[in-house]
Amino acid sequence: MIANFSALKFSSICLGINLCLAFPVCFGAAAEVDFLREVRPLLSQHCFACHGPDANTRQADLRIDQPESFISRQPGDPKAVVPHSPEQSELIRRILATDGDEVMPPQDAKNPLSDEEQQVLVRWVQQGAAWQESWAYVAPKRSSPTLPTPAENAPQARNWIDAYIAEVLRERGFHMSSRADTVTLLRRISFDLLGLPPSLDDVRRFSDGDVERRIDTYVEELLATPEFGERLASYWLDLVRYADTVGYHGDQDHNISPYRDFVIDSFNDNKPFDQFTIEQIAGDLLPNPSDEQLIATGYNRLLQTSHEGGVQPEEYLAIYAADRVRNLSAVWMGATVGCAQCHDHKYDPYTAKDFYALAAFFADIDEAQHFKVGGNSIPTNRPPESAFLDRRDKQLLEFRKRQILNLNRHSRGSSQSSSKDRDSSVDLHTHTDKSPTTDSAYLRELMEEADAIRNSARACMITVSIAPRTIRVLPRGNWLDHSGPVVVPAIPEFLGSLSKPVQRLSRLDLAKWLVDHEQGNGYFTARVMVNRLWMLMFGQGLSRSVDDFGGQGQPPSHPDLLDRLAIEFVDSGWDVKHMLRLIASSAAYRQSSLETQWHRLHDPNNVLLARQNRYRISAEMIRDTALVCGGLLVREVGGPSAKPYQPPGYYRHLNFPTREYESSSDHQQWRRGVYTHWQRQFLHPMLRAFDAPTREECTAQRNASNTPLAALVWLNDPSLVEAAVGLAHRVIGREGKDDTRISYMFSIATSRLPDNQETISLLALLDSARQEFETKPYAADTLVSTGISGSMRRGVTHATGTIHSADTAKAQGDRYERKVNNAEWAAWTQVARAILNLSETYNRN
Amino acid sequence: MKSTIQDQYSDAVLRRAFLSRSSVGIGYLAAMNLFGVTKQSLAAPTGGIAPALAGPEAPPHYPPRVKRVIFLYMAGGPSHLETFDFKPQLNALDGQLMPPSFTQGQPIAQLQGAELKVQGHLTQFGKYGESGMWISDFLPHHQKIANKICVLRSMVTEQINHDPAHTFMNTGTAISGRPALGSWLTYGLGSESENLPGFVVMTSVGGRNPQPIAARQWSAGFLPSRYQGVEFNSGHEPVNYLANPAGTTAAMQSTLIDTIRELDYHRNQGLRDSEAETRIAAYELASRMQASVPELVDMSDEPEHILDMYGARPGDGSFASNCLLARRLAERGVRFIQLYHRGWDHHGDLVKHMHTCCGLTDQPTSALVLDLEQRGMLDDTLIVWGGEFGRTPMFQGKGGPGRDHHIKGFSMWMAGGGIKRGFTYGETDELGYNATVDRTHVRDLHATILQQLGIDHQRLTFRHQGLDMRLTGVEPAHVLRGILQ
Repeated sequence: MIANFSALKFSSICLGINLCLAFPVCFGAAAEVDFLREVRPLLSQHCFACHGPDANTRQADLRIDQPESFISRQPGDPKAVVPHSPEQSELIRRILATDGDEVMPPQDAKNPLSDEEQQVLVRWVQQGAAWQESWAYVAPKRSSPTLPTPAENAPQARNWIDAYIAEVLRERGFHMSSRADTVTLLRRISFDLLGLPPSLDDVRRFSDGDVERRIDTYVEELLATPEFGERLASYWLDLVRYADTVGYHGDQDHNISPYRDFVIDSFNDNKPFDQFTIEQIAGDLLPNPSDEQLIATGYNRLLQTSHEGGVQPEEYLAIYAADRVRNLSAVWMGATVGCAQCHDHKYDPYTAKDFYALAAFFADIDEAQHFKVGGNSIPTNRPPESAFLDRRDKQLLEFRKRQILNLNRHSRGSSQSSSKDRDSSVDLHTHTDKSPTTDSAYLRELMEEADAIRNSARACMITVSIAPRTIRVLPRGNWLDHSGPVVVPAIPEFLGSLSKPVQRLSRLDLAKWLVDHEQGNGYFTARVMVNRLWMLMFGQGLSRSVDDFGGQGQPPSHPDLLDRLAIEFVDSGWDVKHMLRLIASSAAYRQSSLETQWHRLHDPNNVLLARQNRYRISAEMIRDTALVCGGLLVREVGGPSAKPYQPPGYYRHLNFPTREYESSSDHQQWRRGVYTHWQRQFLHPMLRAFDAPTREECTAQRNASNTPLAALVWLNDPSLVEAAVGLAHRVIGREGKDDTRISYMFSIATSRLPDNQETISLLALLDSARQEFETKPYAADTLVSTGISGSMRRGVTHATGTIHSADTAKAQGDRYERKVNNAEWAAWTQVARAILNLSETYNRN
Repeated sequence: MKSTIQDQYSDAVLRRAFLSRSSVGIGYLAAMNLFGVTKQSLAAPTGGIAPALAGPEAPPHYPPRVKRVIFLYMAGGPSHLETFDFKPQLNALDGQLMPPSFTQGQPIAQLQGAELKVQGHLTQFGKYGESGMWISDFLPHHQKIANKICVLRSMVTEQINHDPAHTFMNTGTAISGRPALGSWLTYGLGSESENLPGFVVMTSVGGRNPQPIAARQWSAGFLPSRYQGVEFNSGHEPVNYLANPAGTTAAMQSTLIDTIRELDYHRNQGLRDSEAETRIAAYELASRMQASVPELVDMSDEPEHILDMYGARPGDGSFASNCLLARRLAERGVRFIQLYHRGWDHHGDLVKHMHTCCGLTDQPTSALVLDLEQRGMLDDTLIVWGGEFGRTPMFQGKGGPGRDHHIKGFSMWMAGGGIKRGFTYGETDELGYNATVDRTHVRDLHATILQQLGIDHQRLTFRHQGLDMRLTGVEPAHVLRGILQ
């Protein structure tokens, strides 16, 4: 969707914005050009490469990214642009020139201005050639719009977000859409906040009464469930390029999964985003860092690494340094500082020196050991690492230790009860308490379990600070060229400087600067992040370029709103849940996503937000949705990565060492997508088919493609077929006629009842499948035995058999035992497959 | 009311029976007809599995010379000094210290810190074809196609380790996340096949313990995923998830897909979401793939003499079989076919390993050229042969004599539409170290390949992170005019 959009040449994007944002204001003789939206992007796109920030490629000593260099501001000071006088302006003469030697941009640049674009520049000069700093480098400004009157523009307005959106719509003579129906809203909120569809129970509980208030309650509930952290983590892990393997060459596993759990826990704890930032970049430099803060520094180790025979450490250290600068600037600054590796940035004020000065912040990271000790093992060696207990295991261990202590005291005659400990605040959701048999046997059991927990500690790469390497500017990025000047850590020069008279600046200084709203870049960082949070709730950012808040990025559609959100984020203490709650509370968020004629005609890309958006959910959500419908999803937070079924031989091109993928043979098989083993070179083909990135680089927004390969996954991936078997299993035991059972099955996946025609279609499918399977019992047995859940349902026999569904249906708590006909089960599986292939099941709208 | 539902139900069953009698494709059109979809609204999603999406400057920018590319990718880095680049001086200096003037300040891979000695040719060379093209004795079948190919002896690349060098050869940069050549082409031109992806990759089995190859090499990078290369396997399932679930039949699958379409279509009537229509089309194409791919890989219709010509034993996953499959893919309109053969990384025992690699690839390679020619397809196909880099003129001895990675001069070849035949382009210096005449960067190779397909490499762009990205990047790239007819 976004890809299609960005595939268009920039000129047409500008035009699109003209049409939808500026119409009808702009299309008159006196139409006022909007410098930031219309003029600056043209100058940036067509001129800056040769007349911009990069001094080395600047032509004719003319610089037009700074007004003082090319706009005359007083008479007798002739420059390329003379305000109000296009005919005296050399810039205008050259862009309108027809002579091949004169015309700008030069013909061989193959970057011509269209007629409309030329006219925009002419009008801009006519109107006085006003200049504004690029929006991206102007700090967020406070504003406080009043809710617009008359009220019909926004009768449903619920908070100040709506005021901004309604106001822009009012100017265009339009208004927000009405609230979406309750089921749609519940699904939207559930997908957006948890990455899962709502349960039928939730749909029932929240559908009645005062819908708005019910929904507020629903939002609160969801923000407090552990699945929330998993959903947010899925996105954050794309940004920081989290994966389970080293990426280059042998693509061996590396130890990092505790970092993933740190991210999940942080979002669930609602850790302030500034603290979250500092811990990842520089947790090791905090006083007495906790385990969690050390795990957080795994961030610095997430990049791709190699110990391929023949790598030259110096070259690879340069590659790593560049990788870090690209990622840090993309994640926290929304900047493409990576462009300044070989030359000054062409469009933004980042210099090559800035690039290497940023790299120098990371020069103290101990990361060269693997060139010597890497080793072709699974996992490989990437010291420094440290072993950590999962926080849940840690709590359990503490609890067991206290039990052991009590038991010892008890056996020594102490009368102290152990129940007090059991009442402690220890979170024991999933752990049932041991029932004491005899004290000594019980004690032994407890001690064994305590040992097992201790042994379950997982290794994680961490950051250890050592004496910093020397960092030089590498001319043209060439690591063999040592002629460039040595640089010390510094923030990009045009953003100011951090003075620290005696000491060298550290990663901690950098991290603090990123989130310091008083002296540092805090408001800018906040604006980048809130734009992304907005994207998680609308499918698109207020600035569409969620990965480029630079001169080439797209200005936000609602700049004042974006600024206000950024300020709110800082003022709230960098409270992520608060921001999501705020957005989810707005009428803008709760609008219907239905397109009307007006939308199609005036705002096909929904820039103005006169409606919500409809889009396919992400790869992980697709998996999780199918599994939850099939009653298979394991709700457990954290742990080692899981391995869903994968086509045999998929890793055959991997070597050093060669390896076979062994899919998980226990409950790990049905864990959420966020826990899937992330093999950079051969990402699980299901994830890949639904546009999950390989996480080699920062991904701020995924594509949402629609391909035949994805259709094949939906139809044939054993994980999805097994989910259908599970979904069928959930309904075959129920009382009722076929159409009732179809309704139940359908509503599990779509949260609504099927209409007559839908029921009829599915009944027809059921009927034809029954005919097939009744005559082919073996085929039926085979289909319902897809995956390992079949064998885990004990007692399955051919044709008729007894089923204990305890293992798979545990999540629903419906333990039952009955006669099941496999042919019937298989026929219902076909119906379930249809339902688990519906567009609606995986659309968030 | 009840009788009405019953009636409608019978109706649906009858309709289903009708649909299941027809083939999948006709069933789809018929169903669409029933639903009142016009041909016009079907037009958007057709045009192959990967329709072109290259925006207003969409190619072709010139009349194309070829329709498709077959890239025979010799992964590991074949030695130019044992294939196409004959240097008498190398034999003369055999065993002597490598003159430091060559190696001073140059990147070196595994020979870091080692004493650098010249290694003479490890085989004999002869002159073949009308032009007297130098070809080594490791490649007897290439010797016979000397009049058909154009050898580039002055290739240079920028990456000296396998993984980044592959990435560089395929995407023009060592930075991950950029689209591969084949993705750029399908993005620019779409696929000509209604049933197959536009970009197909196969990696052969056989040979020595190979270097790994990553799916990154056929990734669509920042382009939409539909342009990613689709890997075909030699096993029972040629494409992942192509087979219906065990216990179901093709007829059942087709009934299922009909129901999904019907329900999706029904639901979308009120929404008019164009994405939903694309999705319906994607299911249609998926089922066409399910039918067409098994037919494609089933080589039972190939006569014995063709199998013998390639040395192919269908289903063995060999390079020979893949070359034959490449021809079949080319016949079916696939735009970019990339065959990897691994095992060319000869740090030691080079002679032995060259015998293995050439034994597996030499004959099928020449068979592919000759077979395409006899079918009149060589004129609209471009064949590219080569690896990610070459090998050092210096000795390396892991086991018997071998050579280290080398990036400053190596050989590739091209053949097919618009390319000079029986022609040798470019030279390296007297020891085969540096490309000296008509130095050809990977970017130049890319620009030339695009040119032959009618694409101006400067105008095939995609906006990513604020930049109009292109395969050839920002450094100058030159079409190799000297090799064009």
